[in-house]
Amino acid sequence: MAIYEIEKLGGIAGFGGAHLRSRGKVDSAALSADENKAIEALFSGATKRSLSSGSDAFMFRISRSSSSGNETVQVPEHLVPAALTRAVQDELI
Amino acid sequence: MNRTIPDCHGYNATERKFPLCSCFIIPRDVLERFATDRKLTDAQRESFASTAQLEKSWRRVREAHAKLSLTALAVLPTAVAATAPPAITVFDCQHSSTLPGAPVANPGSSADGTIKRAFNGASDVADFYMKLFGRNSVDNAGKTLISSVHYSINYNNAFWNGSQMTYGDGDGNIFIDFTKSPDVIGHELTHGVTQYSAGLNYTNEPGGLNESMSDVFGSMFRQWKANQDASKADWLIGSEIMGPGATARGFTCLRDMSNPAAKHCLAPQPTKYSQYKPGMDPHYSSGIPNFAFYKAATAIGGKTWDKVGKIWYTALTGFPPKPNMAMSFFADRTRTLAKSMFSSEPSVAGAVDKAWTAVGL
Repeated sequence: MAIYEIEKLGGIAGFGGAHLRSRGKVDSAALSADENKAIEALFSGATKRSLSSGSDAFMFRISRSSSSGNETVQVPEHLVPAALTRAVQDELI
Repeated sequence: MNRTIPDCHGYNATERKFPLCSCFIIPRDVLERFATDRKLTDAQRESFASTAQLEKSWRRVREAHAKLSLTALAVLPTAVAATAPPAITVFDCQHSSTLPGAPVANPGSSADGTIKRAFNGASDVADFYMKLFGRNSVDNAGKTLISSVHYSINYNNAFWNGSQMTYGDGDGNIFIDFTKSPDVIGHELTHGVTQYSAGLNYTNEPGGLNESMSDVFGSMFRQWKANQDASKADWLIGSEIMGPGATARGFTCLRDMSNPAAKHCLAPQPTKYSQYKPGMDPHYSSGIPNFAFYKAATAIGGKTWDKVGKIWYTALTGFPPKPNMAMSFFADRTRTLAKSMFSSEPSVAGAVDKAWTAVGL
């Protein structure tokens, strides 16, 4: 079991900068087996043979803590399961 | 631990030699290995061998197509420019995240304002590039311009995915409909122009240049639509997509090319090269070349597309692809072009040089 911390970055407006933030958390226990499998593939690099999303597309930074330490991957939006992309909340800071 | 996921060629963004690509999901060496794998049946081995051969054939076709395009551009520029203008198509995602969505018949006369704006905006950008620069679509060979609208739910973004534009409706608070800013439409389509010309990468210095090209020609497109001189333009990017929550906080735009660090920018940017840091989001590092363009344009005066726009356009499109271009390289290229293209007006080269020097390049 793990808690995934997700941050949406980039886009034409530059999320992750001075005034725009989009973050969220998801408990792996709340995800389906397929969703957990898809996320595991991101961390293991098994989905590495994928095209980038292109210019102005969002990137997602996903972090998790486990017995082997902290792990973070940064991947294009189209590779991220919808359960994680839905979990972030856009806000002005 | 941070890991970067490489693309289908195994390159990460800074190593990539191609702006974008279309690839077989299974690499050819794997297909060939399966084709001789004795653990598989004859039929399976034959299938993998056929697929590997098909991949080779497709690669030859792609290479031949690229070679032919470059040869045609070099030998027959007028013939290429004379081909029909690009078709403009619009798809409606109906709030799903599947591209391209459902095709829209007669988008130019749609009752849906978003669909109509996406169609008219893409048509106008195609006109802009054709009339001012003689460019036929993003690839200068008449590529169909595809736009998808109503993407996802409350989606705060617009993007170019390598083959088409996609627009979100905004969340209604921070942003509203992304088709409402003409410079955003020009920005996205210019990513296509960059992809098919200099092929700039999307990280580090070439990433900042890539984003700047989209802001420069997006803003120029907006000024052209309004027939504005450089001195009359507001130089704002995304002013029409700001939602009530953002405007209530005093944010009037995403970026301001005339004052990249201003407080009214939702995404304030650096203005000097000394502030650049490797790995910086290209939407921030683009402030440096954006500011140089603004300074050159206002110093030269008149319509941006008459002089400084032609210099920037030639610097972007008039040379072989250079994905890892540094900002200083682009600056020097525009300095050289300003001298050769406007040799009878040394003030133009002087303004370009002074603009780059002012931002530390």
